[in-house]
Amino acid sequence: MHSTRAQQKMRSQAGFFIEDSLARCTGFWVASNLHDVEKHLARAEWPEERVQINLGQISALDTAGAWLIHRTITELEADGRQVSILDADERAHQLLELVRSRAESAMEPPKPYLPGFLESVGRKTGGQFKQFFEFLVFTGKLAFVFFRSVLRPWRIRWPLVVKELQNAGVNALPIVGLLAFLIGIVIAYQGGIVLRDYGANIYVADIVGLSMVRELAPLITAIIIAGRTGSAYTAQIGTMMVTEEVDALRSIGVSPLEMLVLPKLIALVIALPLLTVFADVMGLFGGMIMSATMLDMNTATFINRLAEALSLDSYLSGIGKAPVFAAIIAAVGCFQGFRVFGSAESVGRQTTISVVQSIFLVIIVDAAFSIAFAKLGI
Amino acid sequence: MLTESESIALHSLPRTGDCVLEAHDLVQDFGRKRVLDGISMQLNCGEILAIVGGSGSGKSTLMRQLALLQTPTSGTISLFGKDVTNMGEFDILPLRRRMGVMFQHGALFGDLTVLENVSMPLREHTDLDLETIEQIAMLKIALTGLEPDAAALFPSQLSGGMRKRAAVARGIALDPEILFLDEPSSGLDPISADAMDNLVLHLKKNLGLTILLVTHDMDSLWRVADRILLLANAKVAAEGSIHDLAGSGNSAAQQFFNGPRGRAAGACHDQ
Repeated sequence: MHSTRAQQKMRSQAGFFIEDSLARCTGFWVASNLHDVEKHLARAEWPEERVQINLGQISALDTAGAWLIHRTITELEADGRQVSILDADERAHQLLELVRSRAESAMEPPKPYLPGFLESVGRKTGGQFKQFFEFLVFTGKLAFVFFRSVLRPWRIRWPLVVKELQNAGVNALPIVGLLAFLIGIVIAYQGGIVLRDYGANIYVADIVGLSMVRELAPLITAIIIAGRTGSAYTAQIGTMMVTEEVDALRSIGVSPLEMLVLPKLIALVIALPLLTVFADVMGLFGGMIMSATMLDMNTATFINRLAEALSLDSYLSGIGKAPVFAAIIAAVGCFQGFRVFGSAESVGRQTTISVVQSIFLVIIVDAAFSIAFAKLGI
Repeated sequence: MLTESESIALHSLPRTGDCVLEAHDLVQDFGRKRVLDGISMQLNCGEILAIVGGSGSGKSTLMRQLALLQTPTSGTISLFGKDVTNMGEFDILPLRRRMGVMFQHGALFGDLTVLENVSMPLREHTDLDLETIEQIAMLKIALTGLEPDAAALFPSQLSGGMRKRAAVARGIALDPEILFLDEPSSGLDPISADAMDNLVLHLKKNLGLTILLVTHDMDSLWRVADRILLLANAKVAAEGSIHDLAGSGNSAAQQFFNGPRGRAAGACHDQ
């Protein structure tokens, strides 16, 4: 303890020296020290025929050190040398013996099977097709359960529906409202800059009104809900899959679709159009505030212009998309939840997939709606 | 490069019988509930100490505190003769390398294979070649009795018994001096549980490990434990060899060891 740090370092290192036919191992042959020794051993020039390895000056030896010694001996013997060990204490002998007895399996670590490029492409494609068909089956079952319970509404679990409405609808109001308001501001600002140059300030109401009500409000709301509520659905059902609660429901004779999925689907189909209306209002309000401050347009003018620019068709075509988006988000969220398999790790993975897939599908379907409305002239 | 504390750590290698881990007056409160109330104990080099007690008796909490995974509400812990109670996380690191922990459910990293799991401590704390690291890891895997083929599997592909063995292999990857085992035989079939007991004895004998295990498996207690610490009502109710405890008049020990299960296990071991 009274020695200097340098001395301590010297002593706590592992050493390896060759003198004539004698190799000496010194110091602490423990895993964290063996880096230099490993390099020495690989480059060492061993004497011909007979090698003696002296372990007398080793102060500490662990399995890693014993393994290096054992591996060296094996290599030397494979080259036709005679190797003997000198001055090993009882513990070193014991460790070397232990290492020797398991050496066979240590020499060749098995490699995990890695599929080639073509195989992984094939498997991935197959997996995607399979998932697609599974989703179709799930959608079919869900549609069946949905319409059956629409015919017998007293069998729907209304308390659960109300709870989901609270979670997916009421609790989402602040975030949906805030984001729609901000987007209304942004659009009024961007549109306003261009329109002011042409002296066409008044048309800012057209831009904000049409883009918010027809496109942005339904889309933004759906995307927020996919990230907020769809992911929660996947996580909830996924966790129940891991803890076998879903199987427990089945064993009691309750259909998981009726108990877990249907209330969510009904609640979201009700909540999302209402949230969209709220987003419409907040977006237009944001646009109005921005017009008043930046373009000096008084609010009465803005509202009058809005009434001329927005037809009922525009409003309904925006709101009408919301139930479809809701069904997509609920179905994808629950479907990915049921695909959770094995461990908690899988819950996280499926949740990510669920959000990405539902946002993707919502945008695709939105594009399809746009084309259809254009053809129909709405 | 070794830090000073590391080189000191290497110099003070304990001998059989020395006290390697000592706890004094440990207390743990969870909210208003006192889970541990003034526990003092010591662990001697080369022994297998079993902490036993009913469910909720605080034995897992005690093990977590001793393994430096949880700071006690009050009390002191000294490890290899150094007081570690108020030591910072970075100062504790070199001491952590001298301890291995097997968690109850393995706590293997799910996205790594068994071999990668066992290699991980070696990769983090040594500069050895990857090839050497994998060989040493395979050695540890073989020591725990797993088939070499199991090394390429992911934890989710293993049975409960295999998972515990893989967890032990990771625990002993750096040749620790103290190994903590949380419920090594719980949830295993009788054959795997026996094999686990054998593994514990084998590790003690061949690697000179000091082992602290938490269990309520009566057969394990008879077979592997050198000394037993019985917890009841958040305190140490009794301490000693299993023969002492089973024969003592202590009421907690009587309940524990002379119930139908305790007696059945004792009868098999000539008690």
